[in-house]
Amino acid sequence: MSAEFSEQTKKTIAEIVARYPEKEAALLPVLHVAQKEFGHISPEAEKTVAAALDLSPVQVHEVVSFYTMYNRREMGKYHIQVCANLSCSLMGAGSLIEYLGERLGIRPGEVTSDGKFTFSLVQCLGACELAPCMMVNFDYHGRLDKDKVDQILDNLD
Amino acid sequence: MNDDKVLSRFFHQEGAHTLSAYLKHEGYQGAEKALKEMTREDILGQVKAANLRGRGGAGFPAGVKWGFVPQEGDKPKYLCVNADEGEPGTFKDRYIMTFAPHLLLEGIVITCFCVGIHTAYIYIRGEYEHVARRLEDAIAEARAHGYLGENIFESGFGLEVHVHRGAGAYICGEETALLESLEGKRGNPRLKPPFPASIGLFQCPTVINNVETIANIPHIIHQGADWFCGLGLPKDGGTRLFGVSGKVKKPGVYELPVGTNLKELIFTHAGGMLEGRTLKAVIPGGMSAPILTADEIDIAMDCDALVEAGSMLGSGAVIVLDDEASMLEVLRIVTDFYSHESCGQCTPCRVGNPWIRKMVHRMAQGKGRPDDVENIGRLASNILGKTLCPLGDAAAMPILSITKKFKEELEASLAG
Amino acid sequence: MVKIKINDKELQATEGMTVFQAAQEADIPIPHFCYHPAFIPEGTCRMCLVEIEGMPKLELACSTQVREGMKISTHSDRVKEARRGVLEFLLAEHPLDCPICDQAGECKLQDYYEEYGLYENRFVETKDKHEKKIGLGKTLIHDQERCVLCRRCVRFLREITKTGEMGVFERGGHTEVNIYLGRTIDHNYSGNLAQICPVGAITDRDFRFKTRSWFLEEGKSVCQLCSRGCAISVDSHRGFSRFELPQRVYRIRARHNPHVNGDWICDIGRYGYAYLDADRCRAIKPPSGQEFGWDESIVWLKDKIRRLKDRDQTERIGVVLNSGLTNEELFLAKKIFRDDLGAGQVFFSDPPSGEGDDLLLTAERSPNRRGAEEIGWDIKPVDLEALSRNAGLLIIFGPYFESSHDRSGISSCLEAIETKVLLTPTSGVLDEMMDMVLPTVYWAEKAGSSTNIDGIVQSFQPALPPLGEGRAEWRLLSDLGRELDLNYRYYQSFSSPENIFRAMTGEIPFFEKNGE
Repeated sequence: MSAEFSEQTKKTIAEIVARYPEKEAALLPVLHVAQKEFGHISPEAEKTVAAALDLSPVQVHEVVSFYTMYNRREMGKYHIQVCANLSCSLMGAGSLIEYLGERLGIRPGEVTSDGKFTFSLVQCLGACELAPCMMVNFDYHGRLDKDKVDQILDNLD
Repeated sequence: MNDDKVLSRFFHQEGAHTLSAYLKHEGYQGAEKALKEMTREDILGQVKAANLRGRGGAGFPAGVKWGFVPQEGDKPKYLCVNADEGEPGTFKDRYIMTFAPHLLLEGIVITCFCVGIHTAYIYIRGEYEHVARRLEDAIAEARAHGYLGENIFESGFGLEVHVHRGAGAYICGEETALLESLEGKRGNPRLKPPFPASIGLFQCPTVINNVETIANIPHIIHQGADWFCGLGLPKDGGTRLFGVSGKVKKPGVYELPVGTNLKELIFTHAGGMLEGRTLKAVIPGGMSAPILTADEIDIAMDCDALVEAGSMLGSGAVIVLDDEASMLEVLRIVTDFYSHESCGQCTPCRVGNPWIRKMVHRMAQGKGRPDDVENIGRLASNILGKTLCPLGDAAAMPILSITKKFKEELEASLAG
Repeated sequence: MVKIKINDKELQATEGMTVFQAAQEADIPIPHFCYHPAFIPEGTCRMCLVEIEGMPKLELACSTQVREGMKISTHSDRVKEARRGVLEFLLAEHPLDCPICDQAGECKLQDYYEEYGLYENRFVETKDKHEKKIGLGKTLIHDQERCVLCRRCVRFLREITKTGEMGVFERGGHTEVNIYLGRTIDHNYSGNLAQICPVGAITDRDFRFKTRSWFLEEGKSVCQLCSRGCAISVDSHRGFSRFELPQRVYRIRARHNPHVNGDWICDIGRYGYAYLDADRCRAIKPPSGQEFGWDESIVWLKDKIRRLKDRDQTERIGVVLNSGLTNEELFLAKKIFRDDLGAGQVFFSDPPSGEGDDLLLTAERSPNRRGAEEIGWDIKPVDLEALSRNAGLLIIFGPYFESSHDRSGISSCLEAIETKVLLTPTSGVLDEMMDMVLPTVYWAEKAGSSTNIDGIVQSFQPALPPLGEGRAEWRLLSDLGRELDLNYRYYQSFSSPENIFRAMTGEIPFFEKNGE
């Protein structure tokens, strides 16, 4: 089950590499590209990235396992990331998290059986004025309540 | 133009982020003045005279930091703009980058010209993906119009700016961890000395500044250091973007002079407490700042005043807690956060934070022991000042302040 | 040079030195886990924090450079408290494995707890569980619960062998070191990882559960398995009065020598110590019908030699030497057999060459070839035909002759020779064909010096006592030299390898220049 970059992606990677005097510096951006292309970072994806940047799989895995945004397992189509930090908790994130768990029928970290949603708890998203908030893939949604959450989820197909 | 809304004039305005909108309001004129009429020494002198202190958290004077970079030697120099914005409660840089990306870019041009830098990286937290796109669009606009790239303003000075996205690690807001992450490695902070000014990115002299710090540069140059310093306090010039969140009626970004009273910020500008709630405590500078009780909030929001009060201005992120807040729950959130974000390099932080976290969770389950609060304080003291980087202190300080100032409430929650 | 003070002791330190190095030079111990002289300081264990006058926080000894007038305390109350704090953290999640952990008795956690800890344990939470028996490759086992994340293993594989099999994975309290994707450590330097691990997180199957470190006695020696001559420590067990142990030597460790091997040895040298205990020749096998001790053996040999010498037939003396003899032994052999006697045939029988690597191991597997060359030997391989044609007396040094040619060739050669004497540390197939077999010893059991491939001369003392009647060749040759009475006064002074070496420095310029 190998993971090969498309020709277009290889061009993108070349552009990214050109921004830095050392190839290794391109690793984080290239891992984002790889995650976009392959869905998540598997050991095969790591090997592909390593080969592209003259690194070893160990070096790539050291980075992948350090940063939370690189997913090592297959994710749902929509990754719902709810902030569990202070301002959001003060503004009711706790009950939202409970509600999401019930509505999706999964616990944080799990994927729904139809593969549509993954639900995670995350740390401060940098949108505390909109607390409580969540990020769906990269879209921020704030000032949430149960109804808004329902609305947002219903509109995701 | 002489408005005291330096940074936030165009927040919330649609289209404000475009180059054409920016140019309508003297955009890039500070950079033009710097590159065509001023020497590097002039610019450095202005930034020092402005008493611009770092807006990321440490509050280190920007001009002094730039002055540490050696001008001799043939190694290239770098600027890293710290857009990691991970300190809980902080969201101001998101506004600058979303509504005023060109303000930031103009600041970058002037900074780099002053220090002799030709490559700048904006290290932006991975979650701000849309913001990163906006920055990239702004960079493309700026390049297309000659505000970036080769020979800016025909001055002979060339500069490339790249956006580099992080991938979910609060520790990468620490300047040396940011460098490691930019170099494609785990975000492990480095030993200091050597300091980044001499050995930084790719072993070259490097300046690292927060987004808001750099965003102030164009106006300092365009309108002068004295004007800027006069907006704030003698040793701490300018305005700051205070971010207020928590149980207030109007959470948001408020640009106010350095030294504004915290009580005024909360009750006059942020609308005061939500209906029916009373203020219990305030964290004045992001989660790492020691907490203030309700009778400690009559205080000026500037670096020195808060340090004197045993706290810190940090990122200027004000989190307002009300009477419904359980301090045990707050402690749980705090210890969860630092345990999650510890890089794991050094012993006290790697082991101390999860240990305290285990204790707090046990307390939250009703299995607390009589000496738990005291032990938590002791463990936090074993972290404070003993770690490789400031994250250890950032964890220990809130834990110590909460366990000290809310000791009774915490001990009341213990079993038996 | 800068003047500094550590604990009220005035010291002179070299500029650029760290506080740790200055303290080390002054024999002031500073506890540490992640520091290792071969690696750039990382400063992550936080155990080496010291108090420096004028600096508000405690500072790391491992990475703080000395400055003129610096005043350092390594035992102030603040320092002691900090150390106790670090220990408490490291031991909080540490498993109570001491009763079954190989590291016991030489474990930094134990040692430091005894010296700097002795606090009441306050960790009442449930300890995290991790993998306890990960095979890293070859004989290495990794226990992640015991790991203190000093990362010496990762740094060794990255900076020394440059193979990078291990990495640091996950983050925060979940951080671990490990191999990845099944790529195990399989090179010739794996054993160093178990040695540099300060705790029992990386252990060696070669040593696992066999004995306890406090039963072992350390002897310093030099490895004789290739031409590098790495400095080694031989750890042996003196045995119990009630029962015998199957072996004396339990372990070889690398010993620091900045000129030869730094802090490392290869796995061939580390694990190949069975020869020191297995199949040893322990007793003199005298000519049939006789009961000989060493004195009688020397006299008998002397008689055989004198018989040929007095008849002007010394060209009928054949000698097989080997390049594993020490400098002193090769020197004496030259004096006696070549210079004094003019022996007809002198050959060398050595172990076959192998593959060298670009770190320490040399292709040349005889350890003192350079020494033999510098002493002036022309190293010729054994010529059986020449031997059997003329030899009336054959003296063989070492165990390699029997594998130099096929059995039948050797047998017929030996049959043609009147008198055959074998001096060897190990029992072998030729023993029964010899008229006399004399037991000798390995480098670990004798004093002497050797010359490595780069011309570095190293001297060593016995790390083990000899087995049975075993005796060093230098002593045998020195006695023989006196007995032969061709130049009595010359050999009279050779009562120790030191004296022999002194004579060498007087006669051979190379040893005068390169003597240790």
